[in-house]
Amino acid sequence: MNSRARTESSGLAAARFALNAFVLAAAALPLYLLAKQSVTPELETFAWPPHWMAHHLTLSHFVTVFAVNELRSAVLRSLGVAAISAAIATALGAMLAYAMARSSFAQRVGFSTVTGVRLLPMITVAIPLGIILATLGIYDSASGIGLAIVHAAIAIPTAALTLYAAFAAIPLEVEEAAWIDGASPLRIFLTIDLPLARGAIATALILCFILSWDEFGFALLVQQTNRTLPPLLYYYTVFGNVGPASALAMLMMIPAVCVVVALGPSLRGVLTAGSSR
Amino acid sequence: MRLREILFRFRAVNAAAKRLRTIFVVVPCLFMVALLLLPALNGLVLSFDHHGLSLANYKFLFHDSMFWRALANNLLVPIGSLVIEFVLGLALALTLTARRNRSALIETAAILPFAIPEIVILTLARYIFMPRGYLNGALAITGMHPLPWLSPHSSLAMFTVILVDAWHVTPVVMLMLMAGLQTIPIELYEAARLDGAGTLATFRFVTLPMLLPAIVGALILRGIDALRIFSTVLVLTGPEGVPVLSTYSYSLWDDAQKPHEAMAAAMILALMVTLIGLGGLALARRFSRDDRVPA
Repeated sequence: MNSRARTESSGLAAARFALNAFVLAAAALPLYLLAKQSVTPELETFAWPPHWMAHHLTLSHFVTVFAVNELRSAVLRSLGVAAISAAIATALGAMLAYAMARSSFAQRVGFSTVTGVRLLPMITVAIPLGIILATLGIYDSASGIGLAIVHAAIAIPTAALTLYAAFAAIPLEVEEAAWIDGASPLRIFLTIDLPLARGAIATALILCFILSWDEFGFALLVQQTNRTLPPLLYYYTVFGNVGPASALAMLMMIPAVCVVVALGPSLRGVLTAGSSR
Repeated sequence: MRLREILFRFRAVNAAAKRLRTIFVVVPCLFMVALLLLPALNGLVLSFDHHGLSLANYKFLFHDSMFWRALANNLLVPIGSLVIEFVLGLALALTLTARRNRSALIETAAILPFAIPEIVILTLARYIFMPRGYLNGALAITGMHPLPWLSPHSSLAMFTVILVDAWHVTPVVMLMLMAGLQTIPIELYEAARLDGAGTLATFRFVTLPMLLPAIVGALILRGIDALRIFSTVLVLTGPEGVPVLSTYSYSLWDDAQKPHEAMAAAMILALMVTLIGLGGLALARRFSRDDRVPA
């Protein structure tokens, strides 16, 4: 690859420079505009021609976000749903990944289930699921427990994919030593494999948390009035309130951006694991 | 311990391990099936129910012009989005894996749009593309007329939807292709250089064929996702601006209070995704079998 770079023409170099500038602009400019909107008075946001720099600064939108009860409870609900769903998805995903790493039969069953489930469009599942959750009495609940369970189900493939490589990398000799000492398979899994995979478990927890934190479709259909952050931001965006919407959007970005910047390299492995199958 | 005892224990432990694996694979899979597949099957039943078993819900769709527009858009928007994603994603992947150009800043910047929650990207896009938004502001500075980027039923609005969708997803495609590029042995490039191949020839005869499995894999995964497009359309243009099957079904359910017709539309989308997805998987499998160059 570097040999290819050495022979490149100046035209290609210029194209590269343009591409880099484009990437930086595509990433930075929108974020800047959003940040600007979150700290300028709403009247100024609707000015024409639009202001590229803030003329007046205000923190009132962030104050609003924390003062309005609906917004505050949405933040708490989103946190709760994401935490519960990440815990369930990682626990179940660890079971699935372990079985898949140790048996080819489990691998086949797990792979076809995940493939089948991934082919289902959100809307096909969400409408009838709402009816089922309603009969169970957890549709649109204030705690968001119904949504948390749904998010756990859609996050299991992500968790299993993240953990599979970690379990597959643990040599069988380690487990065999524990067999000889008389440990049961469950105990081997709990006391040997899980601790050895703790790095991957942390990654899986974080990824599943973000998946739920960002999820819009199911949240919109399952939590119609007790909203989580993404549907709430949708309503704020579509029905006015630029200032609070921008402030909310800024707050929503914090966990996701931190994680992706921190997890960069390992995230790449997870995202690409599907393509090299 | 005698050998027989060890063998006996080994068999017992082996059976117990097998039991554990079975439980470990069955419980998560049942959880997913119960929460995702069963509701979909329930929806299938509902879609054939119109005061008793009938095809009335599907007939309703076939007589609704909005359905046909949603169906057409549901093919056009994903195709447009995939083209942009893959051209741009490949260009970025090639640039970022070339050693001379390696830059942590650019790489982070390239991944960033994917790190931002989808709904935040869409909120932003709305403010950028709205009639008195930043894009038209920028056009005004350069002396051009403002354009109705999001005007309902226009092909310009479809273009905007495609652009925004690609903006969010290009980083994923880029990462998948980067992983594919890194598996290409460097010796192939050296051999191509010794044979006197230029940059374009090297790309055409080394990079592209070697990368093909990664491209096909990414295309299937991304294609399935692209067919399910929902939030981009809903936030940017509303369910009726550039209708796709998901938003059409959503508006039947939410605005028109026609849950059974909504399920029929959702079933047609599910059928479409399943056919295209399974077809793609079968194609990819044949691809990797025919592949004579070891990856």
